[in-house]
Amino acid sequence: MDINFSKEDSAFRDEVRDWLSNDYPKHVKEKTDNGITITKEDLVDFHKALSKKGWMGYNWPVEYGGTGWSASKLYIFNKELGLAGCPPILPFGVGMVGPVIYTFGNEEQKERFLPDILNFNTWWCQGYSEPGSGSDLASLKTKAVLRNDLDEDYYVVNGSKTWTTLAQNADWIFCLVRTDNSGIKQEGISFLLIDMKSPGIEVKPIITIDGDHEVNSVFLTDVKVPAKNLIGEEGKGWTYAKFLLAHERFGIAGVGASMRQLNRLKDIISKLDNPDLKRKVNDLEVALSAIEITELRLLSALENGGHPGAESSILKIKGTEMQQALSELFVEASGEYALMYPGPKGYENNDKPAGPDYAAEGLSGFLNLRKTSIYGGSNEIQKNILSKFVLGV
Amino acid sequence: MNLNYNEEQTMLREQIQKFCESEYDFYKREDIVKSSADYDENVWKLFAEQGWLSMPFSEQSGGLGFGPIELSILFEEFGKALVIEPYLSTVVLSGTLLDNSTYKDRKEIIERICNGDIQVSLAYAEAEKGYDYLSSNTTFDNNILNGTKTLVLNGANAEKLIVTCVKDDIFNIVILDSKTEGVSINSFSTVDGQSCAEISFENVKLDETSVISSGENAIDLIKQTINLATLCVSAEAVGCMESCYTKTLEYTKGREQFGQPISSFQVLQHRMVDMFIESELAKSLLIKAMLEVNNRSDDMYKHVSALKSYIGKSGKVSAKEAVQLHGGMGVSEEMMIGHYLKKMVSIDALFGNADYHLNSFS
Repeated sequence: MDINFSKEDSAFRDEVRDWLSNDYPKHVKEKTDNGITITKEDLVDFHKALSKKGWMGYNWPVEYGGTGWSASKLYIFNKELGLAGCPPILPFGVGMVGPVIYTFGNEEQKERFLPDILNFNTWWCQGYSEPGSGSDLASLKTKAVLRNDLDEDYYVVNGSKTWTTLAQNADWIFCLVRTDNSGIKQEGISFLLIDMKSPGIEVKPIITIDGDHEVNSVFLTDVKVPAKNLIGEEGKGWTYAKFLLAHERFGIAGVGASMRQLNRLKDIISKLDNPDLKRKVNDLEVALSAIEITELRLLSALENGGHPGAESSILKIKGTEMQQALSELFVEASGEYALMYPGPKGYENNDKPAGPDYAAEGLSGFLNLRKTSIYGGSNEIQKNILSKFVLGV
Repeated sequence: MNLNYNEEQTMLREQIQKFCESEYDFYKREDIVKSSADYDENVWKLFAEQGWLSMPFSEQSGGLGFGPIELSILFEEFGKALVIEPYLSTVVLSGTLLDNSTYKDRKEIIERICNGDIQVSLAYAEAEKGYDYLSSNTTFDNNILNGTKTLVLNGANAEKLIVTCVKDDIFNIVILDSKTEGVSINSFSTVDGQSCAEISFENVKLDETSVISSGENAIDLIKQTINLATLCVSAEAVGCMESCYTKTLEYTKGREQFGQPISSFQVLQHRMVDMFIESELAKSLLIKAMLEVNNRSDDMYKHVSALKSYIGKSGKVSAKEAVQLHGGMGVSEEMMIGHYLKKMVSIDALFGNADYHLNSFS
């Protein structure tokens, strides 16, 4: 056994650290270091900087312009960015629809969409969940009907999508739509790419309990979508959707980002002389170490020819619980200043915020991160997956 | 990076598993627990034949020169089979302490340990000292030993006792025959089917040659020895946690109520998934800790503390869940499952419980 990374991997880690100290946009770093909310432009700058370095396609094979990195390099990349406090790389383009396009799309679609994803020229959003379809995603109802008009094949799409992250910024949306109702619910689902500028699309904000506008409802009324925007075969969308969800789980444990939060907490708590908080932070440090080594064990299995099993569900469950627990401890460390509301009419409007500077950020995180155990297949769904594939019941 | 066990280590694990299946099933264990002896002499001889009693000792001392990784494998498997033989006290606590010391007769004693000819116990704990093993109210002034040691594992069966004490305010470790005049031993059973003793020393006259180590060296020896033993019982707990999960899964698949196996109920499935997850996370911390101890890194105490605090808490949770999911069978003495809970209680109590190690972690 050897828990150390190879020389090549260690050199790679140094390269990532170099990039972070020299080329990670300073104005973004300034904000994330100080808990200031970043703007759309900041996010674009961050992604463009990654593109410039050739790292945007972190999870793509070389033939499509990706890095072709090994699992350990991917892990190191993700961990170092997290440790440095970078915003998460938006997964919708490069992490989700990109792999679907290069795996199931045709040549024309690859040429049309992939370069813009790698250069972050298009902002993608995800049209999966619907008001009536959450964990039971296959029950989705948004309907697409194929028409032909003046020799042009197109779909007419009607329905609504919800919890669509940052749809207000998006140029394109990839949607699961129902093209057939006759068989079982998993059949008759198709995978469509839709231009957000299409007439008939309306985006309405959903304000979450942290006061933030991150997610949206997307309404589609008689939206005309060229048939050439269909990925793969009609009715095979569920296969592509499952493929995509497997990709989404990469790095979901968020070990690097959690370590950063843990270190900040330790620093804060070391100045507070509060044994209860000290015990709690120790508890989280032990648990985070367990998550980290579990991820390394999966990585080691992968590198030595194994497959990532349903065990990656462990990382989703424990990683998200960890993120939530850390943010909750920030709130506890704020003491009575946990009272300060971080939303639009609250704390952030004050010229000089009351209390310690981590108070508002802590509460925002605590409220915002409730989503982590809900999205990406809720933690209860993950337990169903583990029941089926690991327990065999 | 490679966190997989190598072929040799995997073979060792299989060898131990096979042995436990054929020579040490639960009925056999029950026979030993209910017998008048505290362990089984024949099983102990078989351990010697397998080479297990020689595992952690250096090759100069006639051992196999294996390290914390192999010991962890052994204890994980011992945990699954709930082995009660006094391996921890004789081989780990006493044997490795001697092996790491400069005591003049160490090779001779280790040779007898390897052959299965002798039991030795380490008397490190005192009632007033709690988990602080680096100070002592037992005195060795003028080479006369006075004091009382508690919770001496397998103490009543030990031919030799290794005792921590203070001589002229300096920490010392001495060794003596348990039959020496002035030694009195009161033995009792532990919750997990082993035995331990309270041992009093009243004006026990020894000489300078009985000193194994003193001062900073003695403190280091005890720290290292207890740390290794803590790793071992934690590995044992990891084995218990895996068994709690696998045995509960097996039981719920076979137990029918309301016309279906109770494993078909989602509320039980999710609880078993939690047991599985905790067992995997504990394994991860075990791997980290045993590698740190293997490398003798500066952080080895820290990572053993992380592991011990984790298994102390989550190990008991898993064992309690196992009892609950077995229903009435879980609280029946004749069923194996409840004995894992007793094992977890005893492991948590040994060498610093979950709270203690959480506090000493940072």
